[in-house]
Amino acid sequence: MSVQVSLTVNGVERSAAVEERRTLADFLREELGLTGTHLGCEHGICGSCTVIVDGVSARSCLMLAVQADGAEVTTIEGLLEGGELGVLQQACRDSHAFQCGYCTPGFLMTATELLSENPNPTESEVREAISGNLCRCTGYESIVQAILLAAERGA
Amino acid sequence: MSAPAAARFVGTSVRRVEDDRILSGRGRYIDDIRLPRMLHGVFLRSSIPHGRLTGVDLDAARGLDGVVAIITAAELEGVAHPLSTRPDVPDVARPVFTVLASDRVRHVGDPIALILAETRHQAEDARDAIVVDYEPLETVASIEQAEDPARPSLFDDTDSNLLYTEATDYGDPDGAFAGARVVRASFAPARVAHVPMECRGGVADHHPGTGELVYYATTQSPHALKLGLSGVLSQPAEKLRVITPDVGGAFGQKAMLNREDIVVCAASKLAGRPVKWVEDRIENMTAATHARSETVEIAAAIDDDGAILALDVNLKIDVGAYPALPFPPSFLGPIVRTMVTGPYRIEHLRWANTVFQTNKASYGTYRGPWAIESLVREVLIDRIAYELGLDPVEVRRRNLVRMDEQPRKMATGPTLEGVMALETLERASELIDQDSFRREQADARAQGKLLGLGFATYIEPAPGPPDFMSSVGMQLPDERAVARLEIDGHLTVITAQAPHGQSHETTLAQVAASEFGVPLEHVRVVHGDTQQTPFSIIGTGGSRAATMASGAALHATRAVKDKVLEMAGNMLEISPGDLEIVDAVVMPKGDAERGIPLAQIAMAAYFMGVEGEDDGLRSTAIYHQPPGGWSGGTHACIVEVDPQTGVVEIKRYVVVEDCGELIHPAIVEGQIRGGIAQGIGIALLENALYDEEANFLAGTFMDYLVPTSMEIPTIEIEHLHSEPLAEVNYRGVGEGGTIAAPPVIVNAVADALGGASIGVVPMTPEYVLALVDEAGI
Amino acid sequence: MKPPAFRYLAPHTLEEALALRAEHAGDSAVLAGGQSLMPLLNLRMAFPGTLIDVGRVSELAGIREWDGGVAIGAMTRQRAAERSKLIGERAPLVAKALPSIGHPAIRNRGTIGGSIAHADPAAELPAVALALDAELVAASSSGERTIPASDFFAGYLTTSLAPDELLVEIRLPSLPDGHGSAFVELARRHGDFALVGVGAAVALDAAGAIADARLVFIGVGGAPVRAHEAEALLRGATPTDEVYAEAAERARDEIDPGSDSHASGAYRRRIAGVLAQRALREATP
Repeated sequence: MSVQVSLTVNGVERSAAVEERRTLADFLREELGLTGTHLGCEHGICGSCTVIVDGVSARSCLMLAVQADGAEVTTIEGLLEGGELGVLQQACRDSHAFQCGYCTPGFLMTATELLSENPNPTESEVREAISGNLCRCTGYESIVQAILLAAERGA
Repeated sequence: MSAPAAARFVGTSVRRVEDDRILSGRGRYIDDIRLPRMLHGVFLRSSIPHGRLTGVDLDAARGLDGVVAIITAAELEGVAHPLSTRPDVPDVARPVFTVLASDRVRHVGDPIALILAETRHQAEDARDAIVVDYEPLETVASIEQAEDPARPSLFDDTDSNLLYTEATDYGDPDGAFAGARVVRASFAPARVAHVPMECRGGVADHHPGTGELVYYATTQSPHALKLGLSGVLSQPAEKLRVITPDVGGAFGQKAMLNREDIVVCAASKLAGRPVKWVEDRIENMTAATHARSETVEIAAAIDDDGAILALDVNLKIDVGAYPALPFPPSFLGPIVRTMVTGPYRIEHLRWANTVFQTNKASYGTYRGPWAIESLVREVLIDRIAYELGLDPVEVRRRNLVRMDEQPRKMATGPTLEGVMALETLERASELIDQDSFRREQADARAQGKLLGLGFATYIEPAPGPPDFMSSVGMQLPDERAVARLEIDGHLTVITAQAPHGQSHETTLAQVAASEFGVPLEHVRVVHGDTQQTPFSIIGTGGSRAATMASGAALHATRAVKDKVLEMAGNMLEISPGDLEIVDAVVMPKGDAERGIPLAQIAMAAYFMGVEGEDDGLRSTAIYHQPPGGWSGGTHACIVEVDPQTGVVEIKRYVVVEDCGELIHPAIVEGQIRGGIAQGIGIALLENALYDEEANFLAGTFMDYLVPTSMEIPTIEIEHLHSEPLAEVNYRGVGEGGTIAAPPVIVNAVADALGGASIGVVPMTPEYVLALVDEAGI
Repeated sequence: MKPPAFRYLAPHTLEEALALRAEHAGDSAVLAGGQSLMPLLNLRMAFPGTLIDVGRVSELAGIREWDGGVAIGAMTRQRAAERSKLIGERAPLVAKALPSIGHPAIRNRGTIGGSIAHADPAAELPAVALALDAELVAASSSGERTIPASDFFAGYLTTSLAPDELLVEIRLPSLPDGHGSAFVELARRHGDFALVGVGAAVALDAAGAIADARLVFIGVGGAPVRAHEAEALLRGATPTDEVYAEAAERARDEIDPGSDSHASGAYRRRIAGVLAQRALREATP
């Protein structure tokens, strides 16, 4: 069965018809072509699919697209500012936060939520906030430092 | 010809080339590839560990919406050859098996069919509608059962589950053990899984009109994959191209010729349309490769001062039901055998290795594949220390090969040169401040808290000395790279590497830009496309890139530079030896006013052509393995064990290592930290667990526990630098963390418990609590 | 891993939701926060013919005062509950338990009612409901009934809700003013389901003796277990380590944890005793 889903993604109104069982993650990637959001496990543990829905982080593999009808969604693509890397992204670049890049979208969205709620987190608060995102390459230290740097720079 | 250039970009943590796309969500991974008319393929896999396939009923599935075809072993007859270990590998059993299971399934996850549909959902719906009949067979679920002749052989064409056996003596172990004091240890680490964040996948695009096949694949070995596919599918090599997009981690798992790759390519051929396959996490956990599936018994003959006279090692490996092609079952043993004496002065070794097949997923190369040697040796050394009442650091100190003894041949063949293991040990010991720790430990113990300190010293072949490969019985060709001047004066470097997180687009650009004399942004590194890249049977693996790829890139760039200087020399009527390139301008040394922009020379080269040269003065370099080649170091860690629950917390973790000169310090540190994180997972959390009947129990992230940010401490890293033994003084560093972390944590926990005997990882809280009880705490 | 096909319905009122639940009783699943149900769907471990998404039924969410305690609408997000001052004041055991649930992204979507109705024996909220003698309000198209928590949790992922019922509200009576609470778990990693966990609440009388004690365990069987005998032992006793050790020992006999690939029943039982003491100590005002 098909249903029309209309929502705002990265500030732009988007709409498409999808099967009811389409997850938000697949909707973003397939219907909207925003492949920056990644699938790492599809059972809600790795966090690679994390996006922001109505101001809070959500694992997009655990939402149906139809549940996001009428919502405001931000993905990693929405973090660009005027086509350039935003403050958080620049801090990640300058801290060499990532390696293969597959987990990156999830971490950036989780960090975006953290910094909007807690603009000056301690290292231990950062570590705990990102503990729901798995990375297999970095051992996490560089990501923690990048988020602290972003906070310092007023992300 | 020209002298080495000042290392302008080397040694600095420059901005990564990869980050622009990775941080903005513009990376292009396998699941991001969409081709017109593309079909989605999902695999039907065995749900039982061992049985005859007596029926696969596809009727209902075929009738469902969107289903285009279902490929089984029958459809592959005449399209894909059956598989086995290569005939030129000596002394191994080589059972033959079909690409898709035909009459028999041999592990949970064994692929039976590929369902092709217009959408992924439809393919999965069809998969649910397939009815499979099995006649279960008795399972072989462990090495013990594989040794048991009463258990069935997994294959009709072999009569046992023993695949390979080897026994070798180095020196005179009998003599050394005679009358000596002996200390023993044994270890049975759990199987683990690689768990790259991106699962495996491929998009096959066969063009019916031309017979050309393009395969986009998550691979770290594109040329090896192409070679394998070409043979199995009888696809002419000139009509086969493998392209790697961005790859989301591999750690060795993506170095295989997967049966799935073969099926997906065949499917595209049969369907006349592109076919995409991306496995899900359950499949990746269940049916992609596992590792560390071995048991080992080790004994050391020692003297009363703790000198290790000889080792006796018996390694048994469980490689699962099928070889992880192209690696033969005999691949791992010789490397462990060669490495087990490590950086120590051990002259005599008695070695035995047996390899078995079981009803489990294949054993694949995983970051430091031979790591069991360091695990068991470093644990044994601490055991020796306890027996003799010596400090474990002192036992290491007495046995490590010193710099002034090098170059020195290991008993097993390779030459140790430039190995600063002892210096790393001393420095790590200094950083930990052992005296102060022991006081702290005693105070804590008085309050019922258990603190422990462990050390582990290791070396890794990164890439190893020139005589390493012959010692392990392998022959790897030297590494190639191509450099090409572009018409605008920019430089393209084409590497045989296939990075998946190692940042080669950045590090090789740093090397090339420094050598060439151009801004970093003028260099582009190309990789992963078999149509463009020089051949390498490895791709990225074996910690070879830092030395071999950098060396090849350096020399290819130097060759282009020499040709540019020669051209410029003719134009300026100056000897090329008096010219240099600075910031993309060719000039007499120190005289920018008389310089010619590189772009101008490039234009001339392209327009006029240069006799005997390719466009762009394109040059290929073959880089030969330099002397030395060892990275290594000492890890030290302090843990706290909760005596009531057995929970282990890492309080402090120190690394002192030597990997030569650092092209990009932040990238080097990232490799160390990432490797250690996986080692911590091995030590405390990860278990790719099967039950006693070979049913797989760790298919999801709820059961398979990968460390999070809360389980990995901040690691202190110090680098030492041995004297360069060659111009290219960069060495690999990616595997050491995963090799050294398990033994250092085991040793620390053992120390916390007053010298407990530990023979298992992961050390679960329950396991540790039992040790606490045993220690009478 | 994509979900199987289902009919998707999204009512906007409770009345509508209950009518749908009645119509599709026996072959429908309720989608609340989705953090437990969606993994099951993605993994194709659940095949409901109909999915009733109650996320648009606004009357199901909300936190209000109730009879001195607090009533939480079933669709209240765990994150909202975490931040609620009212819950922090009137049901602090809930506030103590919530941060252990997964990670922020999970708590942003996960609901109080969803977790309780899902009834995972390793989950915190069912145990907290049990410990606080919660009254669970179940509605159907034929009316409403209140189920005491002690009658609600029937076994592994099973509650006493009828197939046409919906959990609509969780009513939490308050404990005496000034009581303390604690939730202590042992998990393999931060945020994982606990191997074993203990929720405790302790209220003291004017003389400093234990006036009321609650002790509940997770991960110790098919459902959370309230250690009534241990609680009886604690009532009237002085809050000392020895008394707590005795209570822990009694509680160990009230639970019957099973073994799985993560831990044996014997280990869980032992740790339950250890954590019970730690929780009681932490919960002592």
